[in-house]
This record gives sequence, C-alpha cells and structure tokens, in this order.
Amino acid sequence: MPVRIKVKNAETGASVEMELEMENTIDEIIESAATFWAKDMGAYVLRKGKKVLRGGNSLKDAGIRADDVLELIPDPEGG
Amino acid sequence: MKALIRPGSADKDRYDRSRRIGWIDLSRVANAEVLMVGAGALGNEVAKDLVLSGFRSITVVDMDHVVGSNLSRCLFFSEEDARKQRKKADVVKEGIKRLSEEALPVSHVGRIEDMPKHVFNRHDIVLGCLDNIAARIHVNSHAYVAGKSYVDGGMEGMLGKIMISKPPDGACIQCGMNKTHAKIAGLRFSCTGRDVVFHEPRLAAEITTTSVISAIMVREALKIVSGHPELVLNNSLYYDGRKNIMEELEIPLDPSCPVHGSSDAATGKRKRFKSI
Repeated sequence: MPVRIKVKNAETGASVEMELEMENTIDEIIESAATFWAKDMGAYVLRKGKKVLRGGNSLKDAGIRADDVLELIPDPEGG
Repeated sequence: MKALIRPGSADKDRYDRSRRIGWIDLSRVANAEVLMVGAGALGNEVAKDLVLSGFRSITVVDMDHVVGSNLSRCLFFSEEDARKQRKKADVVKEGIKRLSEEALPVSHVGRIEDMPKHVFNRHDIVLGCLDNIAARIHVNSHAYVAGKSYVDGGMEGMLGKIMISKPPDGACIQCGMNKTHAKIAGLRFSCTGRDVVFHEPRLAAEITTTSVISAIMVREALKIVSGHPELVLNNSLYYDGRKNIMEELEIPLDPSCPVHGSSDAATGKRKRFKSI
C-alpha cells in the first residue's frame, strides 16, 4: 500500500510530497528529489531527525512511515 | 619536589595558554605522528591549526601545484608559488616549519593511492583534506584497517561537514555514502584542475567556511590524541554558514559496508584494532 511522505530541501526550505511503496529505497527518494529540484550533480544524503538514512535501505527497513518528513542535504566534498 | 617558578615564565612558554585547558595532553600531541592528506584550502588551515596546537610530526601528501585561485583561501601560498607552480605539499611543509622550529614536517608529492599501505600504520591519526570521493574511500578504508582514527573534512561554498571514523567502533566514512556518492566518485571537487582528468565545474569556496571546518577537524584530533574519546564528535557534523547552523548527525553502521562489514558478517565478530 502506498504511503505519502514529505521531503524538504535543506538548501531552499522548499518541500515536496512523494507517494511511495514500502519497497522503494532511500536512494530512489534522493534521486527523485534531486531531479525534481534540478540539483547540481553532487553527493546528497537524506536525514530523518538526527539520523542519516542508508541509501540501499527500503522504506520498510529504514522505519519510514506515512507523513514522515525527511530532509535532503548536500554532502559537500570539496577540499 | 617543589615547583620552581620564575617571574614571566608563563609568557615564555609557547604552550602556556594551551596547558590551561586541562584535557589537552601536550606531550601526546607533540609525539603524535599525523598524516594529513590534501594540502589545498582545508589542508593549509588544518596544517596551521595542527602546528600551532603543538603537533610536530606532520606528513603532508598532495599531488597538485599552487594556482592563483588558491590564494583567497590558502595561508601558506603566495603569488610567487603560483607563478612557479610549486607543489602544494612542499609549500605547506615550509609554512609549517616557519610557524614552529620544533615542527618536523615531511612532504610527499603524489597521490595517496600510490603511497605504500604501511604509511597508515606509521601514523597515529589521519586528517583528510581531500577534494574527491575516490581518495576519501581509499584513505577511509586504509585508516580503518590500520586501526587509526580518520577525521575527514569537506566543504562547498558556505556548507561544510566533518566525519570521523574511530575503528574498531561505529560507522566509517563509507557507511554514510549512497548512490549519489558512487556517481561522482571519479570526480574532483577542486578549484584548480588544469591537470584534472575528470573535472567538475569549479566549486564555490571561501575562507570562513574553510576556517570553521578545519578548526573543528583539528580540535577533534586534539581530543583523540589526548585520549578523550568521550569528547569526540560522533560520526558527522554538518555546518551551514548561511544560517550559522551546526548539527551532529548519526551515521548508522552499514553491515554491508565493504570496509568492515564483510569481516563482521563472515565471522560474526568485530575485528579489534589498536586505536589511540
């Protein structure tokens, strides 16, 4: 059964709702959100609260539930 | 034995003010062997903070040469260094020596990937000031296997992060990576790049963010080397200089992470590494 979650863009404060299956992965959420906001090519992570979510995990594995709010944050790699 | 003091002695001691911070063990700091990988903007600031904090033995590794666009963020680089295309590792080594006669810096011009693996065993702690994910993955895995704490910094514009791997416990740098990291693993996020094969558009960068991130990296190194793991940052810290937000985020250990997950999964137990 699909669930709806909200993804926030840490850089702009914008947010988008996503409809997902519990089998969808964190990697898929990151890719969809980055594409939706036309993000530059770069590394991003998705956080829930104080925890960074593992890319390969499904929503089920990551403990994501309907109406959760996740945040997409850039992972700066410059030196 | 009674202590002997002389008038003005506190002002003659280079580290007197640091000694007043009780938990810093300056003897351990002075004797620690530090491997600093990357001598760009972060590397300049990290090197400065390391040597002023009392670290002496610092190995500086970098393959690049100085260019003009480095000069807005790099304390040790000059116009002349850029004109002569001097190697960053050599210039930073000289800069360290200028700041402290006691320092014993060593420079290595080349890629960390091309250095012998035992270089990680010979050092007590590793600081990463890198501009690409491939090198981060290399340093992370070798530091982890050698049982050495790895403090990694990264930045873009006003954003920055610090990640710390403390083998044998907890997650490593690679545990926090996902497909977006894999996609850009071969790219360098550099501002120089004439000699860069796979190149990205130049990244935004400025000195205040560099200073914040490098200062935290060296402060965490001081805690680790001084033997205060309870004070050390857990996993990662993200910094947004536009809003002055700094937040510690947990990176869960990934059981499928190739750095340490395989040994755990295969044997059912953790490898034990010596770590300072």
